Amino acid sequence: MPEQCPLGPPQVAQLILVIDDDPDIREVVREILEGEGYLVTTAANGAEALRVLEQQRPALVLLDMRMPVLNGWDFAAALRARGARPPILVMTAAQSARRWAEEIGAQGYIAKPFDLSDLLTAVERLLSQTTSGNGSYNSYN
Amino acid sequence: MPWLVLRAAEAGLFACVAGLALIAPRPLWLTLLCVAYFCTVLLYATGAFVRQARWSRGVTRRRMQAVALGSLFLAAAILITGLRAAVPAYEEVWTVLGYAGAVISGLAYFLGFAAPRFVRRAWQEPELRDFLREAAQLPRLATLDAIPAELEQRAAETLGAPYAAIGLWDESRQVLRFRATGTPPPRLPPERTEAFRQGIFELRPGEMIAGRAFMAQRALFSPQAARADPQYAALYRAFGATAVLAAPITAGARRLGVLVVYAPRAPLFAEDDLELVQLLADQAAVVLESRALIDEAARVCAREEAARLKEDFLSAAAHDLQTPLTILLAQAQLLERRALRHPDAPADLVGVRRLVREARRLRSLVLEFIDVTQGGQDAAPLRRERVDLAILAREACARFTSEQHSCMFEGDPSVVGAYDAARIRQVLDNLLENAVKYSPAGGIICVRVWQRDGWAHLTVTDPGIGIPPGDVLHLFERFQRGTNVDDRRFAGMGLGLYICRGIVDQHGGHIQVESVPGKGTTVHVTLPLALEGVCCA
Repeated sequence: MPEQCPLGPPQVAQLILVIDDDPDIREVVREILEGEGYLVTTAANGAEALRVLEQQRPALVLLDMRMPVLNGWDFAAALRARGARPPILVMTAAQSARRWAEEIGAQGYIAKPFDLSDLLTAVERLLSQTTSGNGSYNSYN
Repeated sequence: MPWLVLRAAEAGLFACVAGLALIAPRPLWLTLLCVAYFCTVLLYATGAFVRQARWSRGVTRRRMQAVALGSLFLAAAILITGLRAAVPAYEEVWTVLGYAGAVISGLAYFLGFAAPRFVRRAWQEPELRDFLREAAQLPRLATLDAIPAELEQRAAETLGAPYAAIGLWDESRQVLRFRATGTPPPRLPPERTEAFRQGIFELRPGEMIAGRAFMAQRALFSPQAARADPQYAALYRAFGATAVLAAPITAGARRLGVLVVYAPRAPLFAEDDLELVQLLADQAAVVLESRALIDEAARVCAREEAARLKEDFLSAAAHDLQTPLTILLAQAQLLERRALRHPDAPADLVGVRRLVREARRLRSLVLEFIDVTQGGQDAAPLRRERVDLAILAREACARFTSEQHSCMFEGDPSVVGAYDAARIRQVLDNLLENAVKYSPAGGIICVRVWQRDGWAHLTVTDPGIGIPPGDVLHLFERFQRGTNVDDRRFAGMGLGLYICRGIVDQHGGHIQVESVPGKGTTVHVTLPLALEGVCCA
C-alpha cells in the first residue's frame, strides 16, 4: 500500500474522491495520490459522485467545476442539501479557480495545470485540518 | 400674371379714373362700366388666388383662400353699388348688403394680408403635425440615403411645393452634397455633369441660394432666383425653380447641411414659408442627428462585440488547452517522481503513452486554433479524394467506443463522395467527443450514414443532457456558450462545433442540430454526393 511519504504515512489510509470529466486527468490524479498512500475513488461528474457518496465517505473531495450532467456548483449544493460536509478542494481552470472555490464555499483550490507538489501540499493541508480535530469538517454523515 | 392681362387692367383702371374725374355729371352708363371693370378685375383675382391656394399648403393656402374670399366679396360690394345706382327703389337693402359685403371683404383681406400670429400658428399646425409624426420614424430607416430622400419628400408635401432637396455637409471635402436625379442641366462644367450622371450634385458654401443660406446659417428666400443669382440662372431654370427657399440644417454647433425648397412660381407670402422651412430644417437636423447617434451606437456595439469575441476566443482556447496541459504536466512529474524513488523500476509505458497522446491532442488543438483565427477566408483548400463516408464513420465509432460508452453504426454500407478525409475525420471526432462528453455512462451513441437525392447524410445521436431550444440556433457561432453567459456551463464545446460548421460549409454541405433537453441531441450533417466536376475522375 503506501510507499514513501514526505510527511510520514497517515495512520489509516484516507479515502479521496476525485471528480473530473476527463478520464486521463482522473487516472493521473489517482496514480499520484495512490503513490502517496491514499485510497482513491473517482467519478466523471457530480451525479456519479453523489452515487459514490451513498456508499463511501471520503475524507476529501477533489472537484472539477465544469462538467456535463451535474457540474461542480450543483454537486456542492446537493452535497450541502444532504448535510454532508467533506472538505472540498476545487481543481479547475486557472483563471477562475479561486472565485469558483469561494462561490461554493470550498476549503481550498488548485488551478489547472498544477504542479504535482502543489496538489500534494493542498491535499495534505486539508486532510490535516480535518484530522486535527477541526470539527467543522467531521460533521457529515 | 400674363403681360397682356396686366396691361389691359392698367388701361381699364386709367380709363375708369379718367372718366370718373372728367365727366360730370356722371351718367349711369359710366358708373355701370366702372362697376363692370372692377368686378371683372376682382373676379379674375379671385380665380387666380383660388388656383394659387390649390398648389399651396398650410398658412399660404389659407391666406390665399382668405384673399380670394375678400376679392369675391369686394366684387359683390361693388356690384351692389352699381345696382343701387341702377335700381334706386331698394336703397336700404342695397346699403345694408353693400356694408355687409365690404365688412366681410375687409375681414378676409385682413386675415389674408395681415393675419395675426395666433391665426398663422393655427393654420400651420396640421401640416407640421403630419411632418413631425412621420419624422419620428425616419431615423430608423434602413439606409442612410433613404433619410434625406424621405425628408425631402415630406418637406415638399408640408410646404405644398413640387420639389425639395437636402444637401448634406461633407466636412472633409467642404461641400454640400445633393442627390441628383434626371438628366444633367445644360451649361454645367464637365466634371459636375459627370458627377450629376452618377447621382451627385455638389455645392460649395456660398454657391447658389442653398450655399448662401448654409454659409450665413439663416433661412433665405428669393422670389426670382434666376434674377437674384444670374450666375446660376440656367441651373435654376433646369430645376424648374423660380422661387427658392433655403434653410440651414444645424444641430447645436454642428452644421449638417441645408434644406432647399423650389417652387415654379413665387409664393406671395414668403416670410411665413421661410419660418416653416426653418422649422422643417430644424426637424431634419433632429432626424439626421438621431441617425448619426444610432449609427455611432451600432459602431460601439460592433467594437464591443469584436472585443468580446477576442476575449471569448482566448478563454475558449485557454480552457481547451488546459486539460491536455494538466495531464502532461502531472504525468511528467509523476514519472519523474517515480524515477527518483525507484531508479531501477521498469519504464511506466502506460504513463509514457499518455504523455504522447496528450501531446498529440495539444498539437491538434493548436492547429484548430490556427484554423479558427485565420477565419474561413484563408482556410486551407480541401484535399478532395474519393472517400467512403460509411468507412470513416465506422472507424470514428470504433475510436470512441470505451468501457463507459458504446458507439453503434448503422445505415448504408457504402456512401462515396469527394471529400477531404482528414477534415471529415475532424468533424466526426468533434461530434463524437461532444456526444461522449454529454452522455451518461453506459449511454449508446448512434452514428448513421445514408444517401438520398444526391446528398450524403450523417447523423450522430447521443442520449445526453440535450441543449436548451434557445441555444440550438446559436450553437455554431464562434465560441457560443449557451444562453447564460455564465462561463461555468461552458465546457469547451463551442469551438469544436464552430470548426465542424466551417469544414461542412467548405464542402458545400449543411449542419444542423435537433435536441430535446433531458433526452439527447442529434447532429445532422449533409454533404453533396456528386463526384463529377469536383475530383476523382
